[in-house]
Amino acid sequence: MKSDLLIIGGGLAGLFSAAVAAKSGRKVHLLTYGAGTLTIGGGIIDVLGYDNDAKPLKTPEEGLEKLSANHPYQKIGKHTLEKALEFFKEISIEEGYEYIGELGKMQWLPTAAGTLKPTCLVPKTMDARVLWHTNNIYVVGFDYLKDFYPQLVAKNLQKVYGPYTTITAEMCSLNFAEGRDVSSLDVARWLDTKDGREIFIKQLKNKIKPKGVVIVPPILGTLPNYEVLDSLERQLDCRLVEAAAMPPAVTGLRLRMMLLSYIKKLGVTVIEKALVTTAITENGHCTAVVTDNFDRQRAYQAHSYILANGGLYGGGLKAEPGKFIEPIFNLPINTPATIEEWSNVNLFSDKKQLFAEIGVEVDELMRPVSADGATLLSNVHVAGRNLSGYDFCYEKSGNGVALASAYKAAISLQGRDEYE
Amino acid sequence: MSKHLINPDKCTACTSCVAHCPVTAATRKFRGPKMVGPALERMRLSQQDEDPSLEYCSNCKNCDISCPSGVPISTLNMLARAKHFESNKQSLRDNILSHGEQMAKLSSAIPGMSAITNLGMAIGRKSGMLELVGISGKAPLPSYAGESFIKQFKKLRQENFPDKVVFFPGCFINYNDPQVGMDFVAVMQKNKIEVVIDEEFVCCGSPLVVNGYLTEAHDNAQKNTDIITKWIEKGYPIITCCTSCGLMLKQEYQELFALDAVKTNAKYMYDSLEFLTILKDDGRLNKSFTKFDSKYIYHAPCHLRAQGFGLPALEVLRLIPGLTIEDADAGCCGIAGSYGLKADKYDISMSIGKNLFDRIIATGVDTAVCDCGTCRLQIGHGAKVKTIHPISLLSKAYS
Repeated sequence: MKSDLLIIGGGLAGLFSAAVAAKSGRKVHLLTYGAGTLTIGGGIIDVLGYDNDAKPLKTPEEGLEKLSANHPYQKIGKHTLEKALEFFKEISIEEGYEYIGELGKMQWLPTAAGTLKPTCLVPKTMDARVLWHTNNIYVVGFDYLKDFYPQLVAKNLQKVYGPYTTITAEMCSLNFAEGRDVSSLDVARWLDTKDGREIFIKQLKNKIKPKGVVIVPPILGTLPNYEVLDSLERQLDCRLVEAAAMPPAVTGLRLRMMLLSYIKKLGVTVIEKALVTTAITENGHCTAVVTDNFDRQRAYQAHSYILANGGLYGGGLKAEPGKFIEPIFNLPINTPATIEEWSNVNLFSDKKQLFAEIGVEVDELMRPVSADGATLLSNVHVAGRNLSGYDFCYEKSGNGVALASAYKAAISLQGRDEYE
Repeated sequence: MSKHLINPDKCTACTSCVAHCPVTAATRKFRGPKMVGPALERMRLSQQDEDPSLEYCSNCKNCDISCPSGVPISTLNMLARAKHFESNKQSLRDNILSHGEQMAKLSSAIPGMSAITNLGMAIGRKSGMLELVGISGKAPLPSYAGESFIKQFKKLRQENFPDKVVFFPGCFINYNDPQVGMDFVAVMQKNKIEVVIDEEFVCCGSPLVVNGYLTEAHDNAQKNTDIITKWIEKGYPIITCCTSCGLMLKQEYQELFALDAVKTNAKYMYDSLEFLTILKDDGRLNKSFTKFDSKYIYHAPCHLRAQGFGLPALEVLRLIPGLTIEDADAGCCGIAGSYGLKADKYDISMSIGKNLFDRIIATGVDTAVCDCGTCRLQIGHGAKVKTIHPISLLSKAYS
């Protein structure tokens, strides 16, 4: 089966590039092995939070110009980044799960540790701006729910919002009769039900003063819509804010569902549990990629390919003593031979980590290049975490680079007629 | 070889499997695939360590599908379950549900016996006898066909063609739903292919594995693999219409048992619909379909999705002019073979399937298409619609 575009990877970069390409009328196949790290991520779009000296930026936009020349954003350009964010927001509106925010504004989101983290686009359940406009913040935890301790969150946030804001920790009891440890996903499933919402409201109704804002872990329903948020805000007469918390982060699940729903409506074929192991290339042109299953290998042909299968964690890059490997196309990865140089002595230092910045080097159309800058494959584009030149964890740019590079890759595909 | 090596340490504890496990979503009694699978497996390697919630795993394989690290989570669970039953005895219920093939053989050996068996089951259901042994009186129990597939096949006169395939019908098609097998033969004949069967095939072992009868399943695996090897050496591809049989013969035999031949054999084993997509890609699929004017919804069985080649039924059925079919894309139906038939699992199974049932009902179609026999029973039961195997729909389109 031949398609216009074959995408390797079902994370944010893979799904978003599928959306861009399918929207422009291309026939897209997407191969995914596992549900992707998107599932367990926070589901928010960080674009750029800190500068090279670990100083928080006023806005993501402000930091763009100061990035080094090999940073993906420099190659992609601010204009394309903006268009990518715009299209992402359009999708979210169309799917009934609107994301809010813009490049010119930093959003500071409370976390389960009671700190704030900088981000750019968030679902409406994480609109933390309201926290600056209230005198009463309530942090609500749930009995049995580990990894979210309202007292800790309240105590640390007090330092952020100052002495004139009253921050109260509250507990909500779950009527779970039996069973395993409780995760935020369990609580989200509970709030999906009418019973769960009624019990939640009953316990909080009298505790919350008018115009108060309630911080909860990511529990406001499992589906990418605002039914749970709207219903609870209406009945409690307050605003609710989901904090960034531990996996399984329900917000990541919702984001994945939203994008899958969008691309499937556009006719994208998603093939699950398909592990791409090799590619067939001829004269700098990819003719097929090959999956290796328990039974046999299968070749998938397309006019163009987008490689978006992640970095070390997602499986798109592999580290071996002295070298990094890109296993499918065997692309060159510039890596210092001595492993000691890959990282700082202090893992949690205030410097970027080289191991995080190692990745595939690309040209202006996101195609892989050799050490001397020559384009290696004319119809293969790279997007997302396997790109070189950025430490997403340090600067808080992971999903922003994923969206921007995916968008750039998908609009850089050459026309079908060029191959026919 | 290394890709099939079971290494629980490949698990990074990312919780993707927990987030996608339908049983975990339906009941809090199950601790979830990560904990019961790879996390506990590390303990089991050093000492016997059992988690009572292991019995809740339905082996639907959504954990394997969602795992980004290639950990065969469900297989770890099945191996642990087998370990448990080395020193514990299965219930009469589990014994009955695992040995459907023996029951079916008995009832098909004597003419008219299948009707009596079916009647017996109906009485068992009404009188509460089934509940007494732990089989749900509400669950959609399969009934036995008057005449098995193999008996019907032997009466059939096929046109001879040089291209031949061996068909592995599996218990459900052979004893419960022989029409699927007959439709498969009809579709192959339309494509100038002759179907061969081998009466020596035994149950693939899937129902045995899920109830902890691993030694018996291993015996079946050895028998089937020997037969398959013989046919493959003669140059015959092996085809299945049941997605769980296909998964077991090609993949789970490799994961569960050290059968070297399977690795080579699997290259020549195909799901019936995938086989048709290959014919299509080779330009030799017969596309002279009659025009349809009907709408269907398709449910992809989890055991098909776990095989990593997409949804070939949609690709093939969409070639039929006038036929529209949409992918339900609503997750597991909940039955997982015999899981949903068990009295203490019935409610879980129906709760899992609710998404799918609601989705099917909302489309207003009267027939759902699905490759798996027990999924079809569950869909018929939960969504109250007719169901059909894609190969049967295709056979209709040829006539």
